[in-house]
Amino acid sequence: MQTAESRPGHTPLLEARRLSKDYGDTRALDSLDLTIAPGEVYCLLGPNGAGKTTTINLFLGFVAPSGGQALVSGLDVATHDRETKQRLAYIPEQVMLYRNLSGLENLEYFAALGGKGSLGRERLTEILVEAGLERDAVDRRVSEYSKGMRQKVGIAIAIAKEADALLLDEPTSGLDPKASNEFSALVERLRNRGVAVLMATHDLFRAKDTGTRVGIMRYGRLVTELSTDEIGHADLERIYLQHMHD
Amino acid sequence: MIRHIVHKEFTDVLRDGRFRWCSILVGSLLLISLGHGWVQARNTQQEHAAAQATAREHWETQGEKNPHSAAHYGIYAFKPRLALSFVDEGVDPYTGTSVWLEAHRQNDFMLRPAQDATAAQRIGALTAAQVLQHLVPLLIILLTFGTLAGERERGTLRQLLATGIGRRELAGGKALGVSSALALLLVPAALVGAAALVVASPGPAASPLARGTALAGVYLAYFATFLALSLAVSAWARSARTALVVLLAVWVVNGLVAPRVAVDLSKWLHPTPSAFEFARTVESEMATGTGDISRPDRAASTEHLLAEYGVERVEDLPINAVGVYLQESEEFGNRIFDRNYGALWDTFERQGVVHETLAVAAPLLAVRTLSMGLAGTDVEQHRHFANAAETYRRDLMRQMNGDMTENSLTGDFTYTAGAELWEAVPPLQYAAPPLGWVLGNRVLSLLVLGAWLAGAILAAVARVRRAEVT
Repeated sequence: MQTAESRPGHTPLLEARRLSKDYGDTRALDSLDLTIAPGEVYCLLGPNGAGKTTTINLFLGFVAPSGGQALVSGLDVATHDRETKQRLAYIPEQVMLYRNLSGLENLEYFAALGGKGSLGRERLTEILVEAGLERDAVDRRVSEYSKGMRQKVGIAIAIAKEADALLLDEPTSGLDPKASNEFSALVERLRNRGVAVLMATHDLFRAKDTGTRVGIMRYGRLVTELSTDEIGHADLERIYLQHMHD
Repeated sequence: MIRHIVHKEFTDVLRDGRFRWCSILVGSLLLISLGHGWVQARNTQQEHAAAQATAREHWETQGEKNPHSAAHYGIYAFKPRLALSFVDEGVDPYTGTSVWLEAHRQNDFMLRPAQDATAAQRIGALTAAQVLQHLVPLLIILLTFGTLAGERERGTLRQLLATGIGRRELAGGKALGVSSALALLLVPAALVGAAALVVASPGPAASPLARGTALAGVYLAYFATFLALSLAVSAWARSARTALVVLLAVWVVNGLVAPRVAVDLSKWLHPTPSAFEFARTVESEMATGTGDISRPDRAASTEHLLAEYGVERVEDLPINAVGVYLQESEEFGNRIFDRNYGALWDTFERQGVVHETLAVAAPLLAVRTLSMGLAGTDVEQHRHFANAAETYRRDLMRQMNGDMTENSLTGDFTYTAGAELWEAVPPLQYAAPPLGWVLGNRVLSLLVLGAWLAGAILAAVARVRRAEVT
């Protein structure tokens, strides 16, 4: 299995070093070691409560680690909150936007907060279209958008930010197959631009299809790591279920 | 960065139908109350001016009579309504605005609109001050309760903070955005008020612009306090609903409970006699005197005059001994009035201190006190005018009794004076106290309001910094 550390010349964009998180007596994440290089899509698989979202929250600095470090481009999230966030883009399970603003206005706002306030409306419209939004939907208020359309605006926000790394938390949950495929294609394009992607998902098919590596988590521990080049869909399912029944 | 947040919040709020309807409602009430207050103040001022002129004319044309009879004839004095009284009519409806000045009596003020008002009218009387003190804070709460709690609940807070924006920048931007939207409502109202003040001031000037600026400052501090408080609660609450409930509870305590408690507590701590009890006490003391204030003794007064002028019979006195005695009676009455009214005013002042102190629990109490003070309609400025009117009454009585004393002899009951004497009495020239005097009386309220503002800002900063994302 080839990891970022093993590839010469590749500094990991996302790295967890014995990263742990406790909530009271419950250990939500237990000594996670992880590296994701530019152009890698790392999918975290696991049931609810396995520690996937906690891992993402730790990379975003939303919760403080109980032990270890979360690093973005070599910077510790705990001590470089702003600098690390400027290198990250984040798309949650449900992209939530401002209902009274249009898709374009939402993108303008989030892009400006992400340091891309100079992008003009024309360029932002192109980004929305690139993310899969119909051109005539760009100026409509988000209150009229479907979940799939909101996810596309979320992708557009990530594209506009030109972040080094992308954190995805169950991004295709609730999307229809067509929208999920479009989403995967967009992630693929970002990957080809050298973006490092960490995606938490329940969707084994999507993980195999989109990811370059897959990590299976259970009870806060990373129990196995696989390269998607080396396994088929059936293998992944079998290995996953095997770990879940251990 | 903050510019983008302000712009987004401003746009978001303006597109929110709730804000539009609430703003239209509050804005309309504010403009109507300002207009109604201004017309009422101008009408009152015109009526007072006309009544004062009539009273003066009656005084000057009362015909020939004994000066002491003229003192009993008396004259009315009207408390001028200051320019800003159209914003806050304060205690005027309860204290009255005119007083009859006559011999031997310090009368109570009359023309109290509250006396004639029905219960429904009292509830329905809406002033600009009430809109500013009650409805604008409510609007601020409705605009800000979901500022952070709502973002967290919807999930947008995670996305916002993931962009790299700091929590304090976000909260600051939101506060400015909401303020900008509120400015759309308040600035036009303030301009209308300023125009009314400058172009056609409804009352006499008593540094109206300085007072108006100070009044605007007080209300801005009050609104900023509510804004910061709402942000703090929104950052602390787990849900927007919790934030709303907590803030509405604060609003109810501040606007409805605290004023009622302040009134009852101040009355309980510093009780005042009923009007009937007070009048009976004054009447009783006037009849018999008190331990340290004795009624003048007419025989002793005459003896003193005989000795002073070195004569043996009152008929030989070059002055009218009755006039001297009447003035001594006035002086006696004045001491009784000073004793009783002084104690009453002091009790009112102590009650006022209770109100100001309780403002530590409800900023409205501080704002209300400052608002009435700057509008010239608080108890202190009523006392200021009452003292001026009483001083005028005493000078008038002294002048009448003095004329009788100097120009007639004892036992001469036919002496009369005429228009020359009546016209020699100057009209009451009342100057309202300057801004410094008003603020000097209200240092406690200023300090408490300042403390509320600083505390609310510190609470907002602290809560926003610790606001949880999930």
